[in-house]
Amino acid sequence: MTDNGSGTGESARRTFLKTAGVIAVGTVTVGSAAACAVKDPATPAPDDAETTRTLGMDQPLLEALAEAVLPASLGAAGRREATTTFVAWVNGYEPVAEEMHGYGYADVRYLPADPAPAWRAQLQALDTLARKATRTPFTQLPVARRQELLDAVLRTERGDRLPAPLGAGHVALALLAHWSASPTAWNLALGAKVTPASCRVLNDAIRKPLPLAPTGAAT
Amino acid sequence: MIIHTGTLTTHEADICIIGSGITAALMAAHLSEHTKKSILVVEAGKPTTPLTQRAQARERFLAYGESPWKSDHVDDQNALGTTWGFSPSMHVGGLAMHWGGVSPRYSPEDFQLRSLYGVGSDWPFTYDELDPFYQEAEERMGVAGEQGPLALDPRGKPYPLPPLPINYNLAQLQGWASTAGIATWSTPSAKNSVPHDGRAQCQRCDTCYPVCPSGAKYSPDFTWDALLAAKKITLLTESLVRRLEADPKSGRITRATGNRTDAAGAPFEIRAGAFVLAAGFVWSPHLLLLSKSSAFPNGLANRSGLVGKYLAGHRNVNAYLRLPMELFPGINVQHSLVSKQFMRPGKLSRYLRHDLRIWESSVGREPRLRDEQGGLLLGDAMLKEWQGRAKGATARVRGYYDVLPDRDSALALDTSRTNRWGDPMPRVAFKDAPESAALRAFQEESLRELFRRMAKAGNGEILRMENSANDLGQEHPTGGCRMGTDPLSSVVDAFGRAHEHENLWVGGAPTQPTASCCNGTLTFTAVGLRTAAAIARAS
Repeated sequence: MTDNGSGTGESARRTFLKTAGVIAVGTVTVGSAAACAVKDPATPAPDDAETTRTLGMDQPLLEALAEAVLPASLGAAGRREATTTFVAWVNGYEPVAEEMHGYGYADVRYLPADPAPAWRAQLQALDTLARKATRTPFTQLPVARRQELLDAVLRTERGDRLPAPLGAGHVALALLAHWSASPTAWNLALGAKVTPASCRVLNDAIRKPLPLAPTGAAT
Repeated sequence: MIIHTGTLTTHEADICIIGSGITAALMAAHLSEHTKKSILVVEAGKPTTPLTQRAQARERFLAYGESPWKSDHVDDQNALGTTWGFSPSMHVGGLAMHWGGVSPRYSPEDFQLRSLYGVGSDWPFTYDELDPFYQEAEERMGVAGEQGPLALDPRGKPYPLPPLPINYNLAQLQGWASTAGIATWSTPSAKNSVPHDGRAQCQRCDTCYPVCPSGAKYSPDFTWDALLAAKKITLLTESLVRRLEADPKSGRITRATGNRTDAAGAPFEIRAGAFVLAAGFVWSPHLLLLSKSSAFPNGLANRSGLVGKYLAGHRNVNAYLRLPMELFPGINVQHSLVSKQFMRPGKLSRYLRHDLRIWESSVGREPRLRDEQGGLLLGDAMLKEWQGRAKGATARVRGYYDVLPDRDSALALDTSRTNRWGDPMPRVAFKDAPESAALRAFQEESLRELFRRMAKAGNGEILRMENSANDLGQEHPTGGCRMGTDPLSSVVDAFGRAHEHENLWVGGAPTQPTASCCNGTLTFTAVGLRTAAAIARAS
């Protein structure tokens, strides 16, 4: 999630996320959403075919998951932004769109099928598992207990690096990977305002990036 | 002029350019300024994503990996085989719509390999003869650069734009390289270091490849848009030239024929005084081979039997090094340091020339799911572990070394795969010349040893090293219509004119006997401009 360099992208994105990213499960037609006037990854490309898809995630469950997988230091507002952005990203996905086929590609390749149905089912399955294992809804478990359940669910996932969000085999990984790929997360990791993959003033590049404010707030 | 006769549409022009990639664009610009001739450009594909939509296309590329380039290929028109360096892309502007903009020149040695080192082939002209056309290409594209040490980086005039800045990360890496005895400087790039030619200054969005959202990176559509606005050319899109026809006696090309690539596929012909093949190293020889007739049974321009032969390129060795310094990955990932120190090695006991590029890198510093003990990392534990590894520095270094082509490094027609009209598609198979194959292990080990030495000089360590993937062919490929003075050993003369067809010219990469050991696009265009100047003189 990056600024587009126009100076207006962030505010437009926030408007979009307020209106379209939240969250109730429903069905819309991708390619005709009213939010398309804004510049955002979730805005369908101009020549996308219209395809009916189920959108959204169970918000209470997703927020409970975020509390377990994302850093507590983000705070409630930071987690809320992460889940909102994540859902908007999921909703904006166009299954089987053409991949970038640049150097080294001999053929046209296509993105995978929509991962969202499986992720939604996994979210529900976490709640089912919590109820079976503890007789308590996932949302009401202490964070540490939620993390124990995730440890069991993710036991076969390799750990040398996070997957690309789109390739995540579980919704918990998808949420974590999506946040970790953001400029905000990278700034937190580096402890400095680098804001990778964003359009920025060229000549500022010669200076050492400024440290983050002591509160840990990232741009 | 356009004439309709039944279903056949006839286009007439003084000069017909086949292909609309970066070489074609610069050649058309030159011709439009140096002749009064009418110019018709014919392209099989469509226009792709316009500048106004590239910011959004970039966002979706970053978010999902979606191609930013819409309608950029013709479904049944693709090459087979080892294909690194080109893609199915077929649209107005060609591959350079998504190139990285890196624009080094070859070194003087590249034009005299046989004379200096006893390997490969000499070109029929020297670096000095190409220098003004390098300059013209750099000025037309707006290349930002700084001249390296004179002995390593000769040039007749300064770069048209100041260099992209050596950013904080690269400044640290430049100091390290200096410790290792290597002179580096800002990689020349066709990106606006300052506002230029009505386009914005670079904003280091770091998606130069595959899409620049601001227009700061040069792409050929800018030239086409300007030429069309000034009514200096006619651009015929969705029109696949499938054959060139030549007069059996004079050899002159009389017409090009083909079909529209839309659903109807209507036939067309083009009659022109001169034909310029500027369709890259695949489609240029492919068209010549397709254009066989009773008078030219091996295809056009092919008395030597060398059309489609001597495909050249280079491979690389790549390494990631951990260094004891502090870098911040993401300041400007796609910009780099370059050195030509190893492209100008002087006398050699065994032939090895290579470039050297140095980048910042995030390798080894990405977030992880598990700690060293295999424990799951979630929440603050994950961030803390990440913060610990994010400190420090990783550098990426890479050297291209040149691969000297075998005669049978070739493109051929493959009748097992045809387009909708039954034309066989090209099959590409690169092959090293025996002398080059014999050097390969030595060359790659020499690069690995250089990287080890560089790591040691900086008290660093190698994280990993890797070679080019063998199944991808070679990078920045050239050849297929090699130039030379002897019609028995070349397809075109030193100016790109076909030996057998006085009004047929080939522009850019296909004509090059070798491909050096650095990014090739600037040279492709400079060679094309030299041909354009010859066409202008001839007309």
